[in-house]
Amino acid sequence: MQYLVSVIDDKSNPGSTDRRPAISAFNERLIAEGYWVFAGGLADTDAATVIDNRGEQAVFSDGPFVESKEYLAGVWVWEAPDLDVALKLAAEASKVCDRKIEVRPFQ
Amino acid sequence: MSDVEEAVTRVHHEEWARVVAALTRRFGDLDIAEDAVERWPADGIPPNPGAWLTTTANRKAIDRIRRENKREDKHREAQMVYDDDPPEPVGAIDDDRLRLIFTCCHPALAMQTRVALTLRMVGGLTVPEIARAFLVRETALERRITRAKAKIKAARIPYRVPAAQDLPARVSGVLAVLYLVFNEGYLASGPDTDPVRHDLTAAHPPDPCPDAGRR
Repeated sequence: MQYLVSVIDDKSNPGSTDRRPAISAFNERLIAEGYWVFAGGLADTDAATVIDNRGEQAVFSDGPFVESKEYLAGVWVWEAPDLDVALKLAAEASKVCDRKIEVRPFQ
Repeated sequence: MSDVEEAVTRVHHEEWARVVAALTRRFGDLDIAEDAVERWPADGIPPNPGAWLTTTANRKAIDRIRRENKREDKHREAQMVYDDDPPEPVGAIDDDRLRLIFTCCHPALAMQTRVALTLRMVGGLTVPEIARAFLVRETALERRITRAKAKIKAARIPYRVPAAQDLPARVSGVLAVLYLVFNEGYLASGPDTDPVRHDLTAAHPPDPCPDAGRR
């Protein structure tokens, strides 16, 4: 079962910025234990562009699709046998990243 | 009510949790398990009413899978006709019902949902009874239970008693739910139910699981 693991940061109360080495070590472990599928940190939400081509012509707009204090700072995709395993890893990930984590199953 | 109907109703009440739990283990689906455990008419009182209930529920569950599934699942169905895999070792206490409780009381579900789901799946209370206890509309409660079952399936919330080292963290949540279930049994909220529901309170130890966190 694959889970999307989102790292959630808060603009009004951001997590610490020195987490990179700890996250790298955690990633190594995820790979070694066979949970790792994909990981990526995201640029600031200001760098986002939203495209809507459902009408006659494509409309490009600057910025994220939703303005909020909380935003997606990065994602993982994990392969885990069940939610208990994923939640346990996510609890560690939250410590490692110093941020909130959302775990959501793929369909 | 005839003697037969009465016997079937009584057994249905007494055996509900055991049968739902066994079916969940076998079919891995709360929905199928819940639907299958219905009151079925019988010709005469079966010699072993509990086993009879389990067998009819099993057949009904298999019927439902047959109806719903296409080719790919026929293989699965064929394997399910015989429940010959030995029950998995469940650790502390070897009881399907305990797994069911831990699944219903999973921390990934909201507290109120855990209580409602436990009352439904383990306590065998009907949706109207639970809705009355929560002072919410039946449709709202029905939705909540349906959502919870869908999440258990979609997010793959496991059907097992947690490992020994995880038990202390999980037991408090289960105990909170058990207290609330006991409460419904002690001060039943239904208009036509006895003030004390022995079916819910009798299995409850006087001091709920005093050594549960100690293993």
